[in-house]
Amino acid sequence: MRSEILIVDDEPAIRRLLTGALDRAGLTHTEAATAGEALRAAQAMPAPLVALLDLGLPDRDGLEVIGQLSGLGLSVIVLTARDATDEKVAALDLGADDFVTKPFDSEELLARVRSALRRKNSPSLDPARRDFAGGWIDRDSHVVMIASERVDLTPREFNLLWTLADKPGRVITHDRLLEQVWGPAHREDLDYLRVAVRSLRRKLEQDPSHPRLVINEPGVGYRIAARE
Amino acid sequence: MVYLGAAPGVGKTYRMLQDAARRQGEGTDVVVGIAETHGRSETAALLEPLEVLPRRIITHQGHRLDEFDLDAALARKPQLICVDELAHTNAPGSRHPKRWQDVEELLGAGIDVATTVNIQHIESLNDVVAGFTYVRVRETIPDRVLEDAELIVVDLPPDALIERLKAGKVYLPQTAGEALSNFFTPTKLAALRELALRFAAGSVDRRLDDELATGAVRADYVVGERLMVAVSAGKGGARVIREAKRLADLMRAPWSAVVVEGSSARAAVGAQREQLAENLALASSLGASLMTIAATDVAGALVDQARELRASQIVIGKSRRSRWFEWRHGSIAAAVTRKARGVSVHIVPLDEADEKPPTPPDPYAQRDNLIAFALVAAAVGAIHLIEGMISHSAIDLLLLLPVILSATLLRMRAGLWSALWAALSYNFFFTQPRHTFRIESAGDVITFVTLALVAGVVGGLAGQVRRQAQTSAGVARLNASLARYAGLLGGLSDREETAKVACQEIGSLLDVEAIIVAHEADRLVVRGNENFTALDMVDETAARWALENGAVSGRDTGTLNASDWQFHPLQTSLGIMGALGLARPSQGRVVRADDATLLASLIDQTALAHERLVLEEEARQVGTLRERDRLRGALLGSIAHDLRTPLTAVIAATETIPAEGDFGAEIAIARAEARRLQRFLNDLLEASRIEHGAIAPRLEIIDLTDIAAAVLKDLQQTGPDARAKLEIDEACPLVRSDPVLLRHALINLIDNALKFSDQGSEVIIRIEAGENQVSCRVLDHGPGLPPDIAGLFERFERLEGSDRVGGTGLGLWIAKNFIDALGGSIEARNRAGGGAEFAINLPLEHSDLRVGEQLSDA
Repeated sequence: MRSEILIVDDEPAIRRLLTGALDRAGLTHTEAATAGEALRAAQAMPAPLVALLDLGLPDRDGLEVIGQLSGLGLSVIVLTARDATDEKVAALDLGADDFVTKPFDSEELLARVRSALRRKNSPSLDPARRDFAGGWIDRDSHVVMIASERVDLTPREFNLLWTLADKPGRVITHDRLLEQVWGPAHREDLDYLRVAVRSLRRKLEQDPSHPRLVINEPGVGYRIAARE
Repeated sequence: MVYLGAAPGVGKTYRMLQDAARRQGEGTDVVVGIAETHGRSETAALLEPLEVLPRRIITHQGHRLDEFDLDAALARKPQLICVDELAHTNAPGSRHPKRWQDVEELLGAGIDVATTVNIQHIESLNDVVAGFTYVRVRETIPDRVLEDAELIVVDLPPDALIERLKAGKVYLPQTAGEALSNFFTPTKLAALRELALRFAAGSVDRRLDDELATGAVRADYVVGERLMVAVSAGKGGARVIREAKRLADLMRAPWSAVVVEGSSARAAVGAQREQLAENLALASSLGASLMTIAATDVAGALVDQARELRASQIVIGKSRRSRWFEWRHGSIAAAVTRKARGVSVHIVPLDEADEKPPTPPDPYAQRDNLIAFALVAAAVGAIHLIEGMISHSAIDLLLLLPVILSATLLRMRAGLWSALWAALSYNFFFTQPRHTFRIESAGDVITFVTLALVAGVVGGLAGQVRRQAQTSAGVARLNASLARYAGLLGGLSDREETAKVACQEIGSLLDVEAIIVAHEADRLVVRGNENFTALDMVDETAARWALENGAVSGRDTGTLNASDWQFHPLQTSLGIMGALGLARPSQGRVVRADDATLLASLIDQTALAHERLVLEEEARQVGTLRERDRLRGALLGSIAHDLRTPLTAVIAATETIPAEGDFGAEIAIARAEARRLQRFLNDLLEASRIEHGAIAPRLEIIDLTDIAAAVLKDLQQTGPDARAKLEIDEACPLVRSDPVLLRHALINLIDNALKFSDQGSEVIIRIEAGENQVSCRVLDHGPGLPPDIAGLFERFERLEGSDRVGGTGLGLWIAKNFIDALGGSIEARNRAGGGAEFAINLPLEHSDLRVGEQLSDA
């Protein structure tokens, strides 16, 4: 049977916890304690779909493994410490799909895993339309719908929302957003992004000062909440 | 406050006590340290309402003496203390020999002093008063003591005073009855009264000028005026010094006392040295800066020194001596007057009696004269033997030989004598007619005169060269010994060795016993001299005094001079490193006047060496500490990491189990405690980061809405008890800050607020923008802060009442450190309606654009 999830962690206790949570959610899994084992498992056929990767591995730096795992077609979710923003950004830049901070809440972890699986298994049928929590965006018709109401966005806001919604639930780094929406010359202009996000929130969020749709990961980037 | 009177009996004590009683009535804390009522009931009555310190009883040679108790006064520490009779000499064995020194110590301790003094006790007026009253008082006080004091003249017309005297209202010691009654004549009293009034007026004048002078405190000297006094070894030197002090005061000029050594170096022995030292001490006590220069030409050296000091006035003494004496020896005063350009010279006439005591006979002068005579005789004999072989003109040249030898090798006088003898011998033995003193040929007369002149000039020159060489050799020796001393100390790296070498060297250079004492762990340690490893009580007290007050104490000084040792503090920029103790087994001064400069340099070098030792020690300790810190940090880091992993598992596990059913309560406890443990661990890690200075903020433009949302999410994780409400200004400007540090600090503040809040009560997070800053406030409904919140943000500080809630005591400290690193500030206060408020204030940079302005082009 095909295992859907690859657990890569050198701590047996953490592995057991993760397997327990995944079992209860009815997800199949394979375990690896080292980078070597992880790569072997990823190369085996059929390969798992999602990897839960701890970066502190005994044989290799976890960051090095991200590229190889995602190269083999796995979505990588990194397990990391809360304040390790550099690590998070590096992991995302190297192709990681998402991250979960330790100590993790198993509900949140499962939500992330499911979201990753969904992105993997059911790519949007319509290449121009993306769904997110409470609404959708259509690139071709330039339509944004929130709670069945059409919202008018400036071209820049629309671009920003599209970049975020293209991978719903996935964190897009600040750099990446600035590069995609404003162009490579504006990578450092974080204030542009902040201001644009604010105006976007005013149009999309129920309460812009308690955002639930456009969510910031401090020091890392933004994600748009995925449709459950 | 000094109550100044012209004579005893004018009512100084009475007036002082009256004022003291009034001050007490006004609420000042007044104590009477000592007051002499001399059995007068009116005065005694004044003491009634005042607190009087008990006197200290001293038994000295069978006499019971009661004295002012300085220590009791210092311990009592009133605002104002009355100490009668400033000029009083303390009983032997007191801390200071003079009462004015007690008063200085009281003033130093911040206690105001009221005291009394009569005009004739003032040092600079001592001569003047003695001049017309024929009574010289020995108890004098230096002028500087009165310089900063507020003077109150207690004035009584002479007639009234005599009236009082006749009525028996003036106390006079029985012993001085006769002398003192001569004192109380109307003319003398009038003169004394004028003197007192003038002195007080001068003091008031000076104060007024001080205040007018642009508010500058002491840089108030008349521009350019500077006074220099030449100090001689004679008794008259003291008079010259007092005169100079008076002039300096009148001109309000700084002054220096200069001693020229060299010319009189040979003569200045024994009693003269003592006198010179005393004169210098007097000058110093009157406020002069002292300097000693070595030179043979006294007048020239004085003028040069005056130029160097930029002195505009020279004061010099000149004795009344016969013209003949002056013609022979020259007068320094006259020479200075001749050489000085652009400098006023004040000449103080001195009596012959004031001048140097007769020079003691030089035991070697006789011997030198004999040698000179023998040399000439030998030369005459030799010439006689070879006379046939040489030309007549060579004789006078050969006769010059013993003259030059005597002049260069022996004393100047011997050289001059030998010149005379050579000339006479030439005349007697070698000119026609021989064996008579008659001269017949004119050529021989010329030869004779030439011989005498050449011999005299050569002798004089040679003597001068030799003296100069001796003087400069002395200076060179001094410099060489200093250099050697510095070199010796430079190579040492522990205190014992340094002290030993220092004491040996100083001992042999100054011909004294030397020790070094230092405070170490509340104990006085004596080092450097194997013969002295401990001090007795008196010496120890003197040493402590020097160490604590940073001034010279002990033998030959004004403080605790019953000690056998003289202690010099070793002062450095780091404080007082110890004290150098000097003692001389024999009588006389411990430090000779001419050694004072050398000693000062030696003390400086010793102090420097000690300072270096301390700095080296500190550097070593810092190195060790840093290494230990590094190890501790590494250990903490690895422990924290190793603890973190299992804790992660525990937290994840407990939070997976639903907290319900039979063991719901237990599971909830396990969950909460695991989270708490995690917080502790994080706190410890952050604390170690802070201690290592590893907080490097990464500033970026952030939206506080995002930070607040992240913090709320963190709180959700912490548990359902954590209830917080966010109030944020929608137009809140963006700030430049580090999101990670800011989030952390905010969470710590909220954690703290939750800790002190009742279950179910809400913590409010309010973010609002001000003109120049954005504030993130955390408000709770708890009991609020205790009154004393000093140290609230200190490490491990837990304020009153916070014991029950637990915590590492690191949370607020960490928050403060983070916010400090972000350039913001953190503050705490109680809310008006109860509860505490903590606020993080972040400065708004000018470049942080307001959102409103930006939205338009977004």
